[in-house]
Amino acid sequence: MLKRMVRSQHPFAAALPFAQDDDAPFDGPVDVLNYALTLEHLEATFYRMGIEQFANEDYAAIGYQSGVRDYIVLIGEHEATHVETLTGVISDLDGEPVEEAEYDFGFTDLTTFLATAAAIENLGVAAYTGAAQYLMDVDGLLTAALTIHGNEARHAAYLNVVTGTSPFPNAVDAPSTPDEVLEIAGPFITG
Amino acid sequence: MRMLHEQILAKVAGERERIISRRGLMTGSAKVAAGGTLALALGGGALKVRSASAQTDEKDDFFEDDIAVLNYALTLEHLEYSFYRDGIGQFTFGNDPFGQSIDTNLAAIRDHEGAHVDVLTQVITDLGGEPVEEATYDFGYTDAASFLATAAALENTGVSAYDGAGASIENPDLLTAAGTIVAVEARHASYLNLVTGEIPFPAAFETALTPDEVLEIAGPFIVS
Repeated sequence: MLKRMVRSQHPFAAALPFAQDDDAPFDGPVDVLNYALTLEHLEATFYRMGIEQFANEDYAAIGYQSGVRDYIVLIGEHEATHVETLTGVISDLDGEPVEEAEYDFGFTDLTTFLATAAAIENLGVAAYTGAAQYLMDVDGLLTAALTIHGNEARHAAYLNVVTGTSPFPNAVDAPSTPDEVLEIAGPFITG
Repeated sequence: MRMLHEQILAKVAGERERIISRRGLMTGSAKVAAGGTLALALGGGALKVRSASAQTDEKDDFFEDDIAVLNYALTLEHLEYSFYRDGIGQFTFGNDPFGQSIDTNLAAIRDHEGAHVDVLTQVITDLGGEPVEEATYDFGYTDAASFLATAAALENTGVSAYDGAGASIENPDLLTAAGTIVAVEARHASYLNLVTGEIPFPAAFETALTPDEVLEIAGPFIVS
């Protein structure tokens, strides 16, 4: 209730898409962490598939230096680490970690793979930005989520550059609500 | 309890003479090397993610309220904006490995930091606080390479500062607002690592730093 009062009085309230919504979209911290884990599973699987499918020659064939694939591999490792960490924390909190689903990302070549990577990373940043406030009651979890959030933003900036757009298109990164994130990420999840 | 930015300025004033005399002994190339070492220390994974308990135990010692957190952020944003505003015109940077103009992207970063200064100043004022003002800085860069190395160090430090302070924010909307800023700082850091030959995303987790740790890195840039 206190949070609601503060929220409605604050000058930022009108600017934030979810600030007017008094119904929290999550049932506690574990639910928030499972939301994050859902996205991290999606990302980790996405990179696993793309790394398997595209070799250095494929990158060279569309004009990239060999180092680009190395960084894609590194990003994939980060996402796998996020999956492991979130799974461990949710288990430690006596929650049930969501498992990897089945996905169809629809990429047909390296160019569409990289474009999808950029879209997924930028979406991930917006998702963490939007969900962070629901971890405020547990400082350690909030800080941990923030340290993942920044890493996703680094990935997003790099993939924007790789795909020929601005690494930082705006002065502030708009948050997304779970509903908004689901609308974009949902179609990738097939089962 | 004094506001954090007042503590920062007081500490900086106390250390000023020592820093100036140390700088006097450094050659131009040594300054560049120092900047590079700093960037490496920040980006090389040498600093570990702080434990949850450490954050919880320490945060209340640093910030009296949300206004104090915002002024801490504003202190860093002033420093960053001033750095780009005064430095960008002095050098030409060429293109990054993907053909984008580094000069154009640096100008965008400058504008972002300026926007962050404006929004933080406005919010602090709206909340009845007194926004900290721009200080006087000495960044010590001597050429395009050392400018970029310093830029990378500043941006990586900025991310760590926001991540370390996030848990001290009480108002959820302010936390979200801070999140919309730190993501952009992380994007800047990623790009500047890239153009300085460092790994854009050196670790799976950012390093959350306490104000004291941030002061140790950023303090020497503040002259008064």
